[in-house]
Amino acid sequence: MSAWLCAIDHKRIGILYMLSALLFFLAGGMEAMVMRAQLAAPNLKLITPEIYNQMFTMHGTTMIFLVAMPILTGFGVYMVPLMIGANEMALPRLGSLSFWLQFFGGVLLYFSFATGAAPDAGWFSYAPLTEEAFSPGTGLDYWALALLMITGGSVGSAINLIVTIATARAPGMTMRLVPLFVWTTLVASVMIVFALPALAASLVMLLSDRLLHAHFLDSSQGGAPLLWQHYFWIFGHPEVYIVVLPAFGMISEIIPVFSRKPIFGYPFVATSTVAIAFLSYGVWAHHMFAVALGRNFLAVFAAASMLIAVPTGMKIFSWVATMWGGAIRFTTAMLFAVAFLLEFTVGGLSGVAFAAVPVDWQMTDTYFVVAHIHYVLFGGTVFAVLAAVHYWFPKLSGRLLDEKLGRWSFWLIVLGFNNTFFVQHFLGLLGMPRRVYTYPDLPWFGTLNLFSTVGAAVLVFGILLFCANIAMSLFFGTQAGDDPWNAWTLEWAAPSPPLLQNFAEIPEVRSRRPLWDRKHPEAPDWMGAQ
Amino acid sequence: MTGKVRQRAQLGMAMFLLAEGVFFFLLILAFVYFRAPANLSLQAGSINTALLLASSVSMWRATVYKSAGSRLWLAVTIAFGAAFLIGQAIESLRLIRNGVTMSQGLFGTTFFTLTGIHALHVFAGLVGLAIVPATGLRIMAFYWYFFIILWLAIFLVVYVWSAR
Repeated sequence: MSAWLCAIDHKRIGILYMLSALLFFLAGGMEAMVMRAQLAAPNLKLITPEIYNQMFTMHGTTMIFLVAMPILTGFGVYMVPLMIGANEMALPRLGSLSFWLQFFGGVLLYFSFATGAAPDAGWFSYAPLTEEAFSPGTGLDYWALALLMITGGSVGSAINLIVTIATARAPGMTMRLVPLFVWTTLVASVMIVFALPALAASLVMLLSDRLLHAHFLDSSQGGAPLLWQHYFWIFGHPEVYIVVLPAFGMISEIIPVFSRKPIFGYPFVATSTVAIAFLSYGVWAHHMFAVALGRNFLAVFAAASMLIAVPTGMKIFSWVATMWGGAIRFTTAMLFAVAFLLEFTVGGLSGVAFAAVPVDWQMTDTYFVVAHIHYVLFGGTVFAVLAAVHYWFPKLSGRLLDEKLGRWSFWLIVLGFNNTFFVQHFLGLLGMPRRVYTYPDLPWFGTLNLFSTVGAAVLVFGILLFCANIAMSLFFGTQAGDDPWNAWTLEWAAPSPPLLQNFAEIPEVRSRRPLWDRKHPEAPDWMGAQ
Repeated sequence: MTGKVRQRAQLGMAMFLLAEGVFFFLLILAFVYFRAPANLSLQAGSINTALLLASSVSMWRATVYKSAGSRLWLAVTIAFGAAFLIGQAIESLRLIRNGVTMSQGLFGTTFFTLTGIHALHVFAGLVGLAIVPATGLRIMAFYWYFFIILWLAIFLVVYVWSAR
């Protein structure tokens, strides 16, 4: 027990991140199910409006800050040293500090339930609703303090990953040779360093107002509620890419291995990641099109937002081209990766639609937004993470996940996810606003909402099956061996699970597929490169 | 400290200070955005600034000298830093006695938040300087210089620019 509490080994900390993310994922999922139950039929009154507000606030905050970020950090902390041929993170004790800050931030957030007043102003908590005069309870204080702790933890782990990738690579592994998951994790970490402080600045203003009676966001005293929106989204839009770029990296590892081809256009995948990072800092106001910001201002932000589709589209093209003509093996990991391509593209397309200002004006704050964000974050990030769990579980545990159970959970999750969220596009187009606790019996509203709720129940069943698969395979799964997928990156050269010292001797790297070189001394990759 | 360890600590500190830079940039931006009418003493601000600048010289001496001399210059640095904090406290008390508080208006809101959080970082720096082992002195110096330069930016915006 104390070995885990005091762990500074990157593999243990990585697993702690993953378990903590799973715990909060189940909590956030329960909050979602409470909402779906309340929305199952028109005019239902299962819970009070106050509880409903707490549910959507806690669901959003949990899924972004306590699930998406930590699970990606967890994979980063576990996998990056293995993938770059290092035995540990560069700053091991900072790794431990970062995790516990993150975890206790989550505990603090959930402690607000015990005080009887969970935060209820939505995950982006717009002023002036969050001001003391309009939200007098302590819920938002917990929210802001918890997020400050989580900010500290996130920045700490990002710094650790940056320093590790910069200084701990195996001999010969230049930045042109690192695996793409390492590239995307590096870019996301740099983005955390630049973006999370904007959240911290927003939270400091909010807390000053609430606890010290300052007037940053208080228009009655000359303050500016709009300042919150600007600062929050200067953090908030890069945040979207912070939680999706490492997912892109996972997909870029998995698709080549199960297509038996190297990634198509490695330099394009890496540079388009950097391009997305730069662009993401110039698009925050597209969350604020409904604010009267001026026509030229809107035009610039609309154009910049559409521009992001170009580097993102390049990635989709690279993945499809990698599969093209490959000898594809549809393992559960590969199924999730292919589903990611389809689902994320749907979310990307509705995103491009939103970048057009008039479309946004029509659809903002409707269920179309809810559908869009879930296709990006669930169809994108969560599907990629599920693919990554199936891909890397043998390395973490030494055992394979059960493929049959895996397939069942895959189809239930795909079916449940699309049933839940696809119809929400239509609900949004019909004009159903998000964040309302119930709705009148308008044509189609009841039917589509019931369909969505049934889909959510199927999704929950699929997720539980996935959890059962993990629990069972941990004890009864087939022994995996070091390299069950015949893969090419260095983590598969270490034992499964890796010993405290990952590599008995640090491997030398001469190409992007060091394990291929080792397995095929007659035709190593670096021969062609020279 | 081996070269590799120092390189890692320096890069880690640089990244941390980069994040702090973004954070303070936005707080300074909020101050500039509101442009609330100020009632500050340029004289008191200048004395405080001079104290902090003096500490940068002693900090530099502390990193140059070996053991005994280094400890002495470090103590001088801590003394200058503490004097800066006392000066800041006197300045704040003067304002509060004149009715300028966090809740009184936008000037108090932006001024106390910005300088208060800067002072907290200086205080953390003093604690760090007091306990840092000799091997980590250069890393702490890096931190110290950053918050001195940051203070210069705050001084220029808050005391010079806003009083124009």
